[in-house]
Amino acid sequence: MKKVIFPAVAMLFGGLVAAPAQDAGTVAEAPPAAPYQKVSDLVSLPDFVPGLGQLFVDPSTLPAGPFLAYDHDGQLVSTVYMIPVQDLNPDKSFDDLEAPGGTVDHVDVYYNAGHPGVEVPHAHIILWHVSADDEARVAE
Amino acid sequence: MKPSRRQVIGMGGSFVTALALPNLFARAGAITEITMGGRSDGSHVWFDPVGLMVQPGQTIRWINRDRGNSHTATAYHPANFGKPNRIPAAAEPWDSDYLLPGESFSVTLTQPGVYDYFCIPHERAGMVGRIVVAGPQANDRRSRGTDAGLPEAARLAFPAVEDIVANGMVERK
Repeated sequence: MKKVIFPAVAMLFGGLVAAPAQDAGTVAEAPPAAPYQKVSDLVSLPDFVPGLGQLFVDPSTLPAGPFLAYDHDGQLVSTVYMIPVQDLNPDKSFDDLEAPGGTVDHVDVYYNAGHPGVEVPHAHIILWHVSADDEARVAE
Repeated sequence: MKPSRRQVIGMGGSFVTALALPNLFARAGAITEITMGGRSDGSHVWFDPVGLMVQPGQTIRWINRDRGNSHTATAYHPANFGKPNRIPAAAEPWDSDYLLPGESFSVTLTQPGVYDYFCIPHERAGMVGRIVVAGPQANDRRSRGTDAGLPEAARLAFPAVEDIVANGMVERK
């Protein structure tokens, strides 16, 4: 899995990380307040996705998100953006995406073949709010 | 135990003890399994075997062994989202709908020929498969349908009918 340092992602995606964030305290524990909804209630996906956790999203923000990911204890571990590969072109951009999760420890960016909800190949951009070692909290 | 769904395509087909491996010479009525899988990060998804030869009346069971994703086994047919017809003319189309991890779906194929199918959320990532039901039409190119309207990744992922017939199955690369 390739890791991209946070400043590089900020340069690549412009306002993505510079967007005004909601109070991190309001999303720190699951379930986050409306308009966020549990992804497994919206589409046919496992309630807890190994490697990501329990996901919530505001459906109006699909496909990009942010998706908020929680561990088994309901603690926020990451904020995830899902950007279709076909949308990474000169005619499209993603600006001012919300970043409600607060402090970012590190970032992962990797290709995903698709899944219900985002049924095209896309990039997962994961802003981890926990250390790399603590990613294990959502490994299984 | 997760629920299992089963559908008989064509005329009849019997349900007997499962076999551990697909087999070119498997008897009609036997069950052959196709795994739906994927890497843990979702970067790669697959059917395995991706190509399979069976006898008329044999049952195929797809089981989702991907712990982090849902998959479907959906026949290429106009009844399924207007897709091109890539199953024998006399055969009935099928659509498993989404299978969560551990769930399975079965069909029994009775009409000889070539059956192409795909996974709804992963067609554009090339998650497709091909089944050849033995018989006079098994190697008939006319039963393979048109490539029009297929994503390139899907079109390139089908194993050759000749390889399936020669080897009984084609495992994923």
